[in-house]
Amino acid sequence: MKILVPLKRVADPDNANKVKIPASGATIETTGLEWKPNPFDEYALEAALRLTEDGKAPKVRAGEVVVVTFGPKETETTLRAALATGADRAIRVDAADDKLDGHLVARALKALVEREKPDLVLMGKQAVDGDSNQVGQILAEQLDYPMATFAATMKEEAGGLLVGREVDGGVITLRVKFPAVVTVDLRIVAPTSVYSMKTAPAFKYNDGVRFAALPAIMAAKKKPLAEVKLADLAADQGLRVTYHGFQAPPARKAGIKVKDVTDLVNRLKNEAKAL
Amino acid sequence: MPATLEQSFMKALFHGVIAEDMIFPFPETPKEERENVGVMLDTVRRFFNTNVDSKKIDQEHRIDESVLTGLKELGLFGLQIPQEHGGVGLSTHSYLRVMQEVAGRDTSVAVTLGAHQSIGLKALLLFGTADQKKRYLPALATGEKVAAFALTEPGAGSDAAGIKTHAELSPDGQSFILNGSKIWITNGGFADIFTVFARTSPAEEGKKPKITAFFVERGKGVTSGPSEHKLGIRGTSTTEIFFEDVVVPRENVIGEVGKGFKVAMEVLNNGRLGLAAGCVGLSQTLVKMAIERVQERRAFGRSIGDYGMIKDKIAGMLASLYALESMTYLTASMVDTKADYSIESAICKVMGSETLWSIVNETLQIAAGIGYMQDYPYERMLRDARINLIFEGTNEILRAFIALSGMAGPGKALVEVARAMREPIKGFGLLSDFAVRKARSMLGRERATRAHPLLSREAVIFEEYAGELASQTEALLRKHGRDIAEMQFAQRRIADEAIDLFGIAACLARTSRAIEKRGEEGARREIDLTTVFTAMAHKRLRQNASDYQKNDDELRKAVAVRAYQDGAYPFDLL
Repeated sequence: MKILVPLKRVADPDNANKVKIPASGATIETTGLEWKPNPFDEYALEAALRLTEDGKAPKVRAGEVVVVTFGPKETETTLRAALATGADRAIRVDAADDKLDGHLVARALKALVEREKPDLVLMGKQAVDGDSNQVGQILAEQLDYPMATFAATMKEEAGGLLVGREVDGGVITLRVKFPAVVTVDLRIVAPTSVYSMKTAPAFKYNDGVRFAALPAIMAAKKKPLAEVKLADLAADQGLRVTYHGFQAPPARKAGIKVKDVTDLVNRLKNEAKAL
Repeated sequence: MPATLEQSFMKALFHGVIAEDMIFPFPETPKEERENVGVMLDTVRRFFNTNVDSKKIDQEHRIDESVLTGLKELGLFGLQIPQEHGGVGLSTHSYLRVMQEVAGRDTSVAVTLGAHQSIGLKALLLFGTADQKKRYLPALATGEKVAAFALTEPGAGSDAAGIKTHAELSPDGQSFILNGSKIWITNGGFADIFTVFARTSPAEEGKKPKITAFFVERGKGVTSGPSEHKLGIRGTSTTEIFFEDVVVPRENVIGEVGKGFKVAMEVLNNGRLGLAAGCVGLSQTLVKMAIERVQERRAFGRSIGDYGMIKDKIAGMLASLYALESMTYLTASMVDTKADYSIESAICKVMGSETLWSIVNETLQIAAGIGYMQDYPYERMLRDARINLIFEGTNEILRAFIALSGMAGPGKALVEVARAMREPIKGFGLLSDFAVRKARSMLGRERATRAHPLLSREAVIFEEYAGELASQTEALLRKHGRDIAEMQFAQRRIADEAIDLFGIAACLARTSRAIEKRGEEGARREIDLTTVFTAMAHKRLRQNASDYQKNDDELRKAVAVRAYQDGAYPFDLL
């Protein structure tokens, strides 16, 4: 099975207070930010690795996992980490972070999918910076592929996948035929979430994503990392989303103590205007 | 002056020479290595966050098998083993950085990993033949086999001459028969391969034994005693190891027969640096805890971080940690460039363990009541930190080592000068060298010209006391000659001066680089920490320098000797 996993780097969500907005409000200051792979994309990579191995012998790879990211040269760190974790090959689509939106990324990915011809595009349900939650859906639409979003479980079968999605009141199972687009939710890295046809049904994974072993980090340098120009994938680089300005959420005011219930009701009515 | 002098920054300093080229510019990690190690640290952090519970390790006196397996799978047992043998192939610098991270998270794990690869298998890396490496390294790199270093015996620690364990060549000459025992062996309970030091010459009174290093596989005749109960690092396995008629094949000799002492020294020189990096890591964790605590804890309506006595502690911690980190990684580059770093690494071990001890003590003090409670990590960290002042050579032994091995060069030079004066023509070159150096030190001091001008005050202090170290060394040697080996009060002062001087030198080099790269404002933190550390060191240097002339050494000796006779504190105010 050949799987394409798009990865995005995001500002470290644990250090959100480092996000600075200059007085003009025209942009977000990216210097000094610490970057991490988008967690949902890491889950997608883990799921892709699980689909291309026998869980009890993960060193023997079955199939190919190709990772792709969009961004400047520095984003190659994210790709190298993915290669160290087990991906076979990486592609960086050279682009400026602020010259992209979900639609453009989906259009470029479509061209890439037509070149690479993967059986499956596996990606995070959304990136935790913009939380747009749209690239997977737009991509499937553009490719006219079957799609399953928010996958919580995946089971490989001949020529396709059984995908479990958690919905209100239960779990719905979808059968998707390859080639397909699947976006994953956080439950996909639970111990019994993903089974390739090689992995025994009784096998249990460790909870969460696997970590890159140190020798693999050194060896990842030798794995291929190709650069592609955005223009080669998308002739029209127009954006559908325009940002008009950024502002930080207002600082929270300190709380107050109310004397009694009357005081509380009074303030809710007159100050907070909540009643 | 011998040309080899320049191979060691500190040895040159004892001659009064500031070998600036050895420390300027401060070493910088190549970009690719920085990236690689960055990803590795991320792996380490994630693994420790999800899998390692230090409190549990401390309480259960063991590291869970699943944690050890995880560490092995991540490649943490083969950090410096070359990639061709299945390891990660890290440089010394990167190795230390990874060990720093590990020690910052759990000391028992760090010591277990360190015993395996900082010393346990180090002899194989440094002295092993191609065949020995091929035979042992792959299994050691994956952690399938674990190594341990077995030198210490009840009657022999740093004093390797007291080793009783002996190995005799078998009649057919193909193997050695090993008998004896070793104590306090880290990883002793489960290690598969031991680097063992044994005498290969008969014990003769007053004669130095010939020591040989061997690889000994656990097998027939090798047994471990029960796990020792310890103050700290309770997750590590510390046991006695017994060897009873163990047959060791001749090809398991490390280096040459009879040259084991050199093997032990090289391994320990190298291993001490890993320990210093561990001290950096744990100190960083503690400093973070202290900073959080002082901003959280309120007293008299203010956070205690607002008070001067607390600020004083925090500033002191940061400055000595900065110096320690600078010294450790400066020495790492000396290892990687194959300079002589024996004095430097001993300095890093002493400075590292004492800085950590002071930081852990102050952090516990800042935490006050909760610092003393077992529900919080402070007391465990204090217990864990304590071992560093003891193992891999006590700080007292290392101070003697720093002083004596630093003074050995000048001592030899003085002897040669004396000889040259008897044969003036043959010794002309030597005498003129000596004359030039002498003239230079009389006319003015050696200069640290490559320190950034913003650090000129600190550089002057360094130059002044570098001169002081050299002239004091020469004065002591002229006065006492060989007897200096017995002069421990003086050795202690010389060693402390050397430690402080190396600390200032490392700060000067690192901060100069920072200023060159980021300008004065960009390097404000580094500049201020250098100033604070140098001021702290300056006070000690001044004190030590004046104590050579005026001290109560003899009185203190007499008091101690009398106490030995009294056998206890001699008073009772009843």
